[in-house]
Amino acid sequence: MTGSHHRILVVEDDPETAGQLADSLASNGYQVDVAASGGEALSRGIAGGYAVITIDRMLPDIDGIVVMRRLRDGGVAAPILIISALGEVDDRVRGLRAGGDDYLVKPFSFVELLARVEALGRRSDTVVKETVLRVGDLAMDLVSRTASRGGKDIWLLPREFQLLEYLVRNEGRIVSRAMLLQHVWDLHFDPTTNIIEVYVGRVRRKVDGQQAYPLIHTVRGIGYCFRAPR
Amino acid sequence: MLLAKTLTSSTFKLALIAIGTFGLIVSGILGYVYLSTSSYVRGRSDRAIKSECSDLLAANDRIGRDGLAALIKQRIADGNWADHVYLLVDPSLAPLAGNLQAWPSTITTDAGWTEFRVPPSSAGMDQPLIRAMLEGLPNGDRLLVGRDIGDLDSFTRQIKMAVFISVVLIFSLAGVASVLITRRTVGRIESINATSRAIMLSGLDKRIPLRGTRDEWDRVAENLNLMLDRIELLMSEVKQVSDNVAHDLRTPLTRMRGRLEKAYHTQRSGGSDQSLIGDTIADLDAVLRIFASLTRIAQIEAHTRKGAFRKVDLVEIVGKVVELYDAAAEQDGTCLTVAGDRAVFAVGDSDLIFDAIANLVDNAIKHGRAGGDVVVTSEVVDGRPVISIADSGPGIPPDEREQVFKRFYRLEHSRYAPGNGLGLSLVAAVARLHGARIEMLDNSPGLKVKVWFSAPTT
Repeated sequence: MTGSHHRILVVEDDPETAGQLADSLASNGYQVDVAASGGEALSRGIAGGYAVITIDRMLPDIDGIVVMRRLRDGGVAAPILIISALGEVDDRVRGLRAGGDDYLVKPFSFVELLARVEALGRRSDTVVKETVLRVGDLAMDLVSRTASRGGKDIWLLPREFQLLEYLVRNEGRIVSRAMLLQHVWDLHFDPTTNIIEVYVGRVRRKVDGQQAYPLIHTVRGIGYCFRAPR
Repeated sequence: MLLAKTLTSSTFKLALIAIGTFGLIVSGILGYVYLSTSSYVRGRSDRAIKSECSDLLAANDRIGRDGLAALIKQRIADGNWADHVYLLVDPSLAPLAGNLQAWPSTITTDAGWTEFRVPPSSAGMDQPLIRAMLEGLPNGDRLLVGRDIGDLDSFTRQIKMAVFISVVLIFSLAGVASVLITRRTVGRIESINATSRAIMLSGLDKRIPLRGTRDEWDRVAENLNLMLDRIELLMSEVKQVSDNVAHDLRTPLTRMRGRLEKAYHTQRSGGSDQSLIGDTIADLDAVLRIFASLTRIAQIEAHTRKGAFRKVDLVEIVGKVVELYDAAAEQDGTCLTVAGDRAVFAVGDSDLIFDAIANLVDNAIKHGRAGGDVVVTSEVVDGRPVISIADSGPGIPPDEREQVFKRFYRLEHSRYAPGNGLGLSLVAAVARLHGARIEMLDNSPGLKVKVWFSAPTT
């Protein structure tokens, strides 16, 4: 990884939130710059070199969406995470249409933010077109849509395969439930019940059941992490 | 006070305009009657004078000055010509015959029509008004033939008087009537105004009094009262909701506060701190979720999303929901199945419809019987797309079926099940936005919720 992959621009006008964001990102190995206004965000952002930019939707001078559009117009290709207190789907759609890559509604957990930033940072890496994904003794054939563990086939429904693929692609990173809903089901929806847990539980039984070690780990209160023991 | 309001009211101004127009027309008609009557009467008398005059002229031609004088005397003596005035004078204006003392001094013309007053023959008598025709005779004599038109004059004066009195009467009666009518109108409006002011001052429990006349004012008052009933109901619902919000938020907030307070007064220990913080975060999340649901419902109810409506495939949405809840149903031992037609389309917002159906399926699994069935059907009935969700649980008593759509409403037996009582409110809000009707039926046993969308226009 080059240095730019660790630099993050946080655009946030509330000093305490900005400080918390900067702290939590810094403690995870990122180098964080904070811009407190739209103007500052534009000058810093266009100067470039950021792996990910997070923009608050409501800034004192310029609307976050406008900042984002100007950054894009200025040739900034870094993935942008919009953070907003406006939770309605319309705003989400508007934010994404204006050039945002992901959307997070305030208030959020820092683990969720970190997971999103990691996922976005990875997206800006050159994605290698693989046809087989391997983690530990698990292999996923993306062409034949089959999975096996230790050479033994695992029978998965299409949606279960997609879920496993998303977990495997984010190997070693935390994936939140909202991210699963968004990327596996394409839903912006807040289920009141534990349907995602139950769904992951079913996949887990198929993947980890009667195996030497588990691959799918639960991160309490947040989501899941897929990793093989070292 | 009321009089001032009466005089400034728009009804009164309208009445004045109506009175003015009507009065002018009536005055015109009466004026015409007067003019035509008086000209008819005058014309008759003029014709009589003229024919008498030409009779005398012919007599003069025939029998000469003395004959004419004799004829005039004879006419004067005859009672039939009692109201006639005759005077024949020689060129020096000395009277030759007639019942006038002298040639009237007011006459300036030589021939044609004239009017004059005769000096009274005795004191105290009226000066009769004479209308007369003058003629010059070939021998230089001058003849005056006239009539006392005093009667005619008083007749036309009476007509004039009658016309004037009727016009005045019409105007004043109409004025009084319009004041009375306006006053009545203003009175009704005042009673509505008074009620409005009372409502603004004290509260929504006041109603506009009805007079039981079933007129348009009573109808206005009735409708306003109905509107007030509706507003009062909404207000009480809002109050109910805010009470519920306060309760539902206060409970976790109190728990959090107590927990933090206890932690503040005790020694730090890593393990208990962690569980305290974890519990507090979970409670905070519950609070935030309630907020999010409430704002979402409010946003849906603001109807701003109709712009995003397009044709959506209900079968596809149902499929997605069922797939998402499949694992949850399996865990509960519930058999979740899809049924119905292959192509069912509606017009709407697919995200919101998904939310609504997901909530209904969620409820069906949660409140249905463990090990029972949940069937989600999408079909077209009478051209209308319908989605029904049927479970085999305890159902909802008929008298509570309306209530469950209220915010924070929880059925007695589900009070301690997870959930915040906002799911069906969201369903109701989505249905309202889509103009869809929700029907709750008995699935004996269980509940069947049918969502009737409106037929998509192609």
